[in-house]
Amino acid sequence: MLPYIDHFGLSAEDLRTTLVFALSKGGDFAEVFLEYRAYDYILMEDDIIKETAESIGIGMGIRVLAGDQTGFGYTNDLSLEKVQRAALTAAAIAKGKYRGAAFRLRERTLRKDVARVIRPAHASGIAKKIALVREAYGAARYFDPRIAKVKSSLQDSIQYVTIANSEGLLVRDVRPMVRLTCVVIAEKDGRREFGYWGGGGRVGLEYFRDVLTPGKIGAEAAAEAVLLLDAVDAPAGEMPIVLSPGHSGVLIHEAVGHLLEADFNRKKTSVFWNKMGKKVGTDQVTIYDDPTIPASRGSYNVDDEGTAPRRTLLIEKGVVAGLLQDKLSARLMKRPLTGHGRRQDYSHWPVPRMANTYIDRGEYDPAEILASVKKGFYVDSLQGGQVEDSGKFTFSVSLGHLIEDGKLTAPVRQATLIGTNIDILKRLVCVGSDLAFGLQTGTCSKEGQDVPVNDGCPTIKISRMTVGGRR
Amino acid sequence: MRELAERLVAWGKADGADEIEVSVVEGREFSVDVRRGRIENLVEAGSRVLGLRVIKDKRTAVAGSSDLEPGTLRRLVRNAVRRAELAEPDEFAGLAPLTPSTVDAAALRLHDPEVPALDPKTMIGLALETERIALADRRITNSHGASFSSDDAAVFLANSNGFSGGFSGTYCGLGVGLQAGGTNDRVEDSWYSSKRFFRELASPEDVAKKAVERTVRQLRPRKVRTKNVPVVFDPTMTSWVMGFLFSCVAGTSVYQKASFLSEKLGERIGNPLVHVVDDALIPGELGSRPFDSDGVPCRRTVVVDKGVLRNFLCNVYAARKLRLQTTGNADGGGVSPHNFSLAPGKSTPEEIVRSVKEGLLLTRTLGHGLNSVTGDISRGAFGLWIENGEIAYPVSEITISGNLGALLQGIEMVGNDLEFLSPVAGPTIKVAGMTVAGE
Repeated sequence: MLPYIDHFGLSAEDLRTTLVFALSKGGDFAEVFLEYRAYDYILMEDDIIKETAESIGIGMGIRVLAGDQTGFGYTNDLSLEKVQRAALTAAAIAKGKYRGAAFRLRERTLRKDVARVIRPAHASGIAKKIALVREAYGAARYFDPRIAKVKSSLQDSIQYVTIANSEGLLVRDVRPMVRLTCVVIAEKDGRREFGYWGGGGRVGLEYFRDVLTPGKIGAEAAAEAVLLLDAVDAPAGEMPIVLSPGHSGVLIHEAVGHLLEADFNRKKTSVFWNKMGKKVGTDQVTIYDDPTIPASRGSYNVDDEGTAPRRTLLIEKGVVAGLLQDKLSARLMKRPLTGHGRRQDYSHWPVPRMANTYIDRGEYDPAEILASVKKGFYVDSLQGGQVEDSGKFTFSVSLGHLIEDGKLTAPVRQATLIGTNIDILKRLVCVGSDLAFGLQTGTCSKEGQDVPVNDGCPTIKISRMTVGGRR
Repeated sequence: MRELAERLVAWGKADGADEIEVSVVEGREFSVDVRRGRIENLVEAGSRVLGLRVIKDKRTAVAGSSDLEPGTLRRLVRNAVRRAELAEPDEFAGLAPLTPSTVDAAALRLHDPEVPALDPKTMIGLALETERIALADRRITNSHGASFSSDDAAVFLANSNGFSGGFSGTYCGLGVGLQAGGTNDRVEDSWYSSKRFFRELASPEDVAKKAVERTVRQLRPRKVRTKNVPVVFDPTMTSWVMGFLFSCVAGTSVYQKASFLSEKLGERIGNPLVHVVDDALIPGELGSRPFDSDGVPCRRTVVVDKGVLRNFLCNVYAARKLRLQTTGNADGGGVSPHNFSLAPGKSTPEEIVRSVKEGLLLTRTLGHGLNSVTGDISRGAFGLWIENGEIAYPVSEITISGNLGALLQGIEMVGNDLEFLSPVAGPTIKVAGMTVAGE
């Protein structure tokens, strides 16, 4: 574990009295979330290191639960007076008197760390980071004469959290993160196309030497932009789809993950709310969310409610098997915690969120899957997607290929895929053996809160799906 | 706030910065979410955040903090001046020259004293009432809940060229999200009102009825065959297109060659019905401001005049890069819209629908699928199918695709129903032909 540095100046006794204040109107659970986060950012553009940035976020969020109701306040002034005033604000959700028994805070020490860090990027010298940004930039800029514009940036952060609640929990965690990305624009005969690549996770800068080099990041971004210069418009209509391994996991994230977040099921707004134990997909479909994958961007040692997370089975051989829980939903649904209560920062309360979501490896040889499609659409890379509770979802393909007679032919630009999750799970006919994870740069938005996530997926085939192209 | 901002400017100069600018934002927020007649979440909070930018020998460093301890801030300024040396000289870097403002901030009506004085009971009551009215409609089968939120924020900006000024603004919003249909044929939509002045906010009845209507009209949707048809955009959808157009005329995208309109200044990019204006000076609107984050007075800028691209929206930096004048749209390191809209036309929305023999009334989209580099649009879509000038049935699980350039050329009718629900807006429009992909 990385050493914990206290930035808050509040003792365990201060936290305990704050929690007592929070319960003074009769709430049945109170929780303090203290956060200090420092970021560094380096941007290279127009062939120069254009800007460096440093920022600090500090604050406390306090939450009181009274049945299914939440009172919440936050402050970035951590004087005991302001902290306790925020506690009283949150307390007002309940209407009554203090009825909690006396409690003591017991600190829980974390032993295993999901981060794979020799030295956090945040503590590394800025010159070293600038060198990485330059390397990615150069690899993209000189990849091909048709490269017109490159933007390369590195962002790292370190987050210190202290979580205490009226059940007596006190836990502290340190969470390092880094991300190096490259955005490229290629130009030919007045036509412009865009390419993107990146990497990182809960790792140190050594990752960019040992796992994914800045040169590779720059070259991949440039190669995508250049390839798109010769891409054709996407076809329109229903056809078989094959998804490339790795970041096609966005499909699983949108089509399944969100709708198995417990809050949508507790409120019965998700199409899955009455389908627990029911068969919704083919035998091929087994889906997990695992916040404990070492080094991964979506991982954490404890969630933002202090719960130790565990790998959670969501769909087993096509049958709905589990939900992603936070404390509120788990209490109200009387289900065990899974450690998926996450928040963007101290100014938001936790809600059930994904961490690293993936469809498990299957039996099919990826080459065989491709060969089985006479005429269809192959998805190389995705920009992101969106889902609504009714199960309708879309995702945007930034680069694809036509499949003709089992082979990839012309590259295809910008297309949207749309479907309904239950239909897609039933049409997910082949799952490959080549499970891979995405770029380690993803962010998921829900109810105005952004959290880092990652997705994984082997090569998969969907027998029929609507492609929104122009031809 | 003034004192804090000016003190940091002085520190920066003392540490050796050639130029420094400091902004401080202080806000108070209240919000309540209700669902099925009960309070679900209640939030009350205050926050302060500070941002600064220093330039030394044309080299830039920026910093930000929500920790306002003097020791932390002193260190941040010193670090920034030191870190600036690690960047490379950028001939375009630098603060805006001090320009005397002609904008009367008071006349802009940005702050409603009634908003911070609102009683929590009143705000909770409005949210409850909105949801109650919506749920009273028997076609509504579930609720995502109703919310009321309010915000009162003050901004102060000081820089080493002598600019020192601030203003405050309020915001309040009321909205509700609904579902209709059974578990397996569910449809959903929402509606909201947002204003700077509490008295201008739509009533719970209006918000609820609009949300109900938007939700139930989607019940029992059909799929359609893939075809190219005229598409009518309802005002929320035109606003979405205008948001995309904004990102393509933003000076920051233009100099980065991230816009398909980069080389089109002075050229015809749309038909003569297309008139697009960014106007920060409309009293009481959400996107109105007296000055931008460069300290430059805000103004009214004609972006597209009868189909011809006249101006990009710039901050000082983008303007220098493009050899243009700033339009006072600076916001942090980028640019933001200040009441950016497609000017209304003469047709009523009903007349527009009546003019379509077969086509789509687009009411909602899902997903991303916008590419400013190419202008390509491709999104999941929901709407109502039009046959012989009448709404025939709802459609879903379709996508629409096209290109913003072609769309602007293809606008055949512009509605008279412009209203600002956000700083970007547009009225109902009819676009000649787009690909609607279905079965």
